[in-house]
Amino acid sequence: MTETAPPNKSQVMIGIGEYHVGTSPMMTIGLGSCIGLTIYDRDLHIGAMVHIMLPESSGRTDRPGKYADSAIPLLLTKLTERGSKRSSLVAKMAGGACMFEYFGNNLNIGERNAEKVRSALAEQHIRISGEEVGGKSGRTVSFFPEEGGKVTVRSADGAAHEI
Amino acid sequence: MKLSSVQIDAMQELGNIGAAHAATTLSQMLSSTVEMSVPKIKVVDVAKLADYIGEEPAALVIFELQGEFPHGGYIIVYISRKSAVRMTNTMLGLTDQNRPLNEMDESALIEIGNIMASAFLDATAELLGFVMLPSPPTLIIDMAHAAMQSLIAQMQEEIDEVMLFSTELVCEEHKIDSDIIMMPEVTMLKTFVERLENLMKSS
Repeated sequence: MTETAPPNKSQVMIGIGEYHVGTSPMMTIGLGSCIGLTIYDRDLHIGAMVHIMLPESSGRTDRPGKYADSAIPLLLTKLTERGSKRSSLVAKMAGGACMFEYFGNNLNIGERNAEKVRSALAEQHIRISGEEVGGKSGRTVSFFPEEGGKVTVRSADGAAHEI
Repeated sequence: MKLSSVQIDAMQELGNIGAAHAATTLSQMLSSTVEMSVPKIKVVDVAKLADYIGEEPAALVIFELQGEFPHGGYIIVYISRKSAVRMTNTMLGLTDQNRPLNEMDESALIEIGNIMASAFLDATAELLGFVMLPSPPTLIIDMAHAAMQSLIAQMQEEIDEVMLFSTELVCEEHKIDSDIIMMPEVTMLKTFVERLENLMKSS
């Protein structure tokens, strides 16, 4: 438990299917096939982050942040309520790994998540300015709206870098 | 699925029997005493999974539950990264704890996981009266949360709450702690409960 730095207490922790909008630093830990998506407003310097688990909501509405197809409209609604204009928004995403080679009876959820996020953002004309998706490893993602929407990705060995 | 206190007691007993067998095999492999915690049943909202399983690096040996009921869920032998080195050092007669895990460690961890999971499933299956087998193992050495999250995402039935049966196995002598976690699919859980209720009625 002492091998990685503890998460900064001032950071808002975003669990699976949860989201947050504002200026505080935000964090999603241990993404495997899940996606940590951030949308940043370059004019208002606010941002939104969501922890997506599956590509399609298939009609479920109780946890819109859990699915790529409902999470993106949700974040855009929340940002628009705060005065964001579509043209000022840029997105970044990380995650979507495929950690298991066995248990092959399931399609690659990580890849499907990333594809759905891409297509849903394209539909809304939101540009992706940085991403790190796929691979086989877990990722922890931090988002700092007050630092120009900086997004850092950390792996299990503790190495962090900006995307 | 909500369980009554009687059902939880029964499930705890099931976990107890499985984990006791797994602890015995671990004790034999390490030639040392292994202490076992009381099995815990945790119903965890997926949004709060990180409160139970964090981003710390760990070795997870993962099996799908197969046998009479295919895709029954997963059984996971969880060993913290530091304990994993101590465990393989103990078995392989090595002493350096600050070394990277190599292929030999990986084979050893898979074997340990295999023996422990098989012991757990043999014992519980015998009690329940049906065949439960582990799939071939998958070893992940990475953030524990990322592996668990990926398993939950690919479960057959989509869930907002996951039920974890978790028993800690600790070897004081070698400072090794591990956890054996069973995460059944909803259908499997229902089968467990039905069988246990029948057992209680007939006894």
